[in-house]
Amino acid sequence: MRLELRGITKKFGSLTANDRIDLVVEPGQIHCLLGENGAGKSTLMNVLFGLLQADEGEILIDGEPVRLANSGDAVRRGIGMVHQHFMLVPVFSVAENVVLGFEPTRSLDRLDYARAREDIRSVSREFGLEVDPDVTVESLPIGLQQRVEIIKALGHDAQLLILDEPTAVLTPQEADALMAIMRSLTATGKSILFISHKLKEVRHVSDVITVIRAGRVIGTVPPTASENELAAMMVGREVSLVVDKTAAAPREPVLEVRDLVVRDDRGLAVVDGVSLAVRAGEIVALAGVQGNGQTELVEAITGLRHVESGSVLLGGRDVTNRSPREILDAGLGHIPEDRQRDGAVLSMSVADNLVLNTPRRAPFARHGTRNLRAVRDNAETQVESFDVRTSSVDAPLSSLSGGNQQKVIVARELSRPLEALVASQPTRGLDVGSIEYVHREIVRVRDEGHAVLIVSSELDEVMALGDRVAVMFQGRITGVVDPSTSREDVGLLMTGSTPAESR
Amino acid sequence: MTTVAADVTVRPPLGRTQAIGWFVVVVGLFTVFGMGVGTGSAPHSTLTFTPIDVSHGAPWHLGNLTLPTEWTLVLLGALIVALGAEVLVRRLVKGAMVRVGLMAIVFLVAVLVWASRQPGPSQVPFINVTAILVGSAAITMILIYGSLSGILCERAGVVNIAIEGQFLGGYLVGEMIDSATNNWLLATVGGLVIGALMGWLLAFLAIRYLSDQIIVGVVIVTMFTGLSSYFNSWVLTPYPNLNNGNIASNLAIPGLMKIPIIGPTFFDETGFFYLMMILVGLVSFALFKTRWGLRVRAVGEHPQAAASVGISVERTRYVNVILGGAVAGVGGVAFAAIQGQFTPSITSGFGYIALAAMIFGRWRPSGAVAACTLFGVSAYLAYNLQSYQVPISTEILLMFPYLITIAVSAGLVGRVRPPAADGIPYSRE
Repeated sequence: MRLELRGITKKFGSLTANDRIDLVVEPGQIHCLLGENGAGKSTLMNVLFGLLQADEGEILIDGEPVRLANSGDAVRRGIGMVHQHFMLVPVFSVAENVVLGFEPTRSLDRLDYARAREDIRSVSREFGLEVDPDVTVESLPIGLQQRVEIIKALGHDAQLLILDEPTAVLTPQEADALMAIMRSLTATGKSILFISHKLKEVRHVSDVITVIRAGRVIGTVPPTASENELAAMMVGREVSLVVDKTAAAPREPVLEVRDLVVRDDRGLAVVDGVSLAVRAGEIVALAGVQGNGQTELVEAITGLRHVESGSVLLGGRDVTNRSPREILDAGLGHIPEDRQRDGAVLSMSVADNLVLNTPRRAPFARHGTRNLRAVRDNAETQVESFDVRTSSVDAPLSSLSGGNQQKVIVARELSRPLEALVASQPTRGLDVGSIEYVHREIVRVRDEGHAVLIVSSELDEVMALGDRVAVMFQGRITGVVDPSTSREDVGLLMTGSTPAESR
Repeated sequence: MTTVAADVTVRPPLGRTQAIGWFVVVVGLFTVFGMGVGTGSAPHSTLTFTPIDVSHGAPWHLGNLTLPTEWTLVLLGALIVALGAEVLVRRLVKGAMVRVGLMAIVFLVAVLVWASRQPGPSQVPFINVTAILVGSAAITMILIYGSLSGILCERAGVVNIAIEGQFLGGYLVGEMIDSATNNWLLATVGGLVIGALMGWLLAFLAIRYLSDQIIVGVVIVTMFTGLSSYFNSWVLTPYPNLNNGNIASNLAIPGLMKIPIIGPTFFDETGFFYLMMILVGLVSFALFKTRWGLRVRAVGEHPQAAASVGISVERTRYVNVILGGAVAGVGGVAFAAIQGQFTPSITSGFGYIALAAMIFGRWRPSGAVAACTLFGVSAYLAYNLQSYQVPISTEILLMFPYLITIAVSAGLVGRVRPPAADGIPYSRE
């Protein structure tokens, strides 16, 4: 299918989310739409998928102008979308999810499961996407759930697939598998519109890259363009893509865990005898495929989860199973994995969020009443020095972009005396500019002589930021290696095997 | 702007399952030693099986069954202990709920056996099994109408806490129409309409204005409680012939009603009872076997996903909440058909018990039927145990369904998992 967008403009009040966007996707092509968060990518996709109506401009499919009033129209025209947050019902089977909305039926409106299964099998066979139609979706790993989304789109006979930030939730291996699938799909003549802000994968898989910024097309370039070029187009200025840091000068251990055993909600020991020491003045990066106990390890360190056995030491003090309050007061900074759920209160103001961890302390409170003046002054200072883009310190945090929300959390955690910092997925979902900023701040904390533990499922980040890289697999540390170790070897540790040289 | 529903699966840790197991064991031991051992060899308990109302002909006669009280209690207690031991040994998590339900039933039987022992304090020297089942069936029927209503709404993602109000509405309108026309069919249509209207009101506020469904539901109940009381004093009191309190007569099914115990319970009932049985099958089938049901459940689990394939979330919810209201309205008429005259607040919380049964039954018609039966029997006994001189007051026994519901919702027993989007207003960005 050849898709052409001509002069698409979409306004929300005074904000122009899309400003005269032109775009052509040729048949059999992987066309990447590259842009920072908030650049207007999602709005454009929603217009294309019939979820929003453009104020101006037209959509042409194979040269013919079409009107897409809802997503049903888009699907009938052969457009399929794989959403970033999967549109799958977790408790339904794969078959039920795939046929939803287009169900084959027998008499009395009964679902024809036999036909549904057969349809899925034939799509599976045709495109090499194996999946059991009868398992419930929630029991599948994320990568397979995404495969179900793709099958769903193909099952509705999509000729153009929109993939909205498809690799954001995937492990490196799953991402590689997805790239292979995308290639095999275009080989059969399907077109793919691929949305991303990850430069590496974009250059790796695309045939054409269109960069948009602030709702406008900045340019269309071939994948041979350098990462620096692309980043500059996205952000509008030169950005540094490598983490600038000197060699670490580690001193005594500050944050230590010894033989730690932690159970998850199901009662399984997901942290199974972990020992790790983070020294003052170094960054230890914890790598691993998500779900191998990293989350629970961090929760145990920060007092959010009960420690079954073993101990956590902070600055030589035993803080095992202390309350989060005591642990924070002992000098632990924590940037949580899910910033919107655990890191901040979205409905509260920027100023209040900046004192969430010290609300009872002078100068922010006295005799049990809050000192709003001090809270405000603090906020003004922090917003200034951490370059938080907000209309005012009284604006609710939810009105800020993801990157700026993260800056608020970083500012809060770093603006008090620290012993150690624990940061989980500190740059997840952030754009290039914000990533650069957060990385610089983390390195600064290290250079001030604090111990830093980073947990990230982005291998690039782990290798760039860590002074030492610890790899976790099934609740255990499978190796602690130097960041100069090859990606392949770290990848092997992430799957539990031991490369010859790392032992 | 929609909140991503947190993981609402309630999964009790192993320690809690063990506590449940021990609790069941303790109840069993109490049955053995607290009630059984020590009653001596003299007392006997007698079971009879002849229904009280034999106007449509009696079933084939079953003789009385006289049991030694002590040994029967020991046996029943041992059965409960075995249930508890099973939970402990097999570490049942999912099955714990069913075991607790079974325990409750066995324990109720044990209480009856104990209470009716002769010689003993009881004024009633026997247990009429058939009469208890027939009486319980009436209450159970009302509860099932309510539960089905709740299931229809909540499977589509709208909490219908207004069932109590819809019962009241159906009761009032049904009673008036029947009094005026002497026709329960017309009364049913009236109840259906008023229930549907009240469902529409809930849907309108919940879907159009994204209001908190629980608050809206409570408001509807409160409003209708007041409105119907007002109506009672200004219309029904001056015109008592609009509230004549006739009850519906039974339509006995020839042949089947001759079966002892089962016949009088299931086949010598009002039309409302048969309608309820048909509805249970119909809702089960529609919800889990048809395209319609798949779409409804998708809307209740993940409305965004449903919308992304062109299903109208709003329309689905409207239709289901109105349907649910209609079912509860008919339930109100059924209530009037077995209870008679309307008085203010006559439904006395049955709508809430029905909702509790829906939760205990895990949002499934079959489960709800089981839970309603348990709650129906216990409610019936609560009203009737006095005659056996049981030293527990009715009010305490009537708390039973709520206690169970608290235990279940808090994840103390088994695990319940409501539809993921239940109670969450849906808006398109």
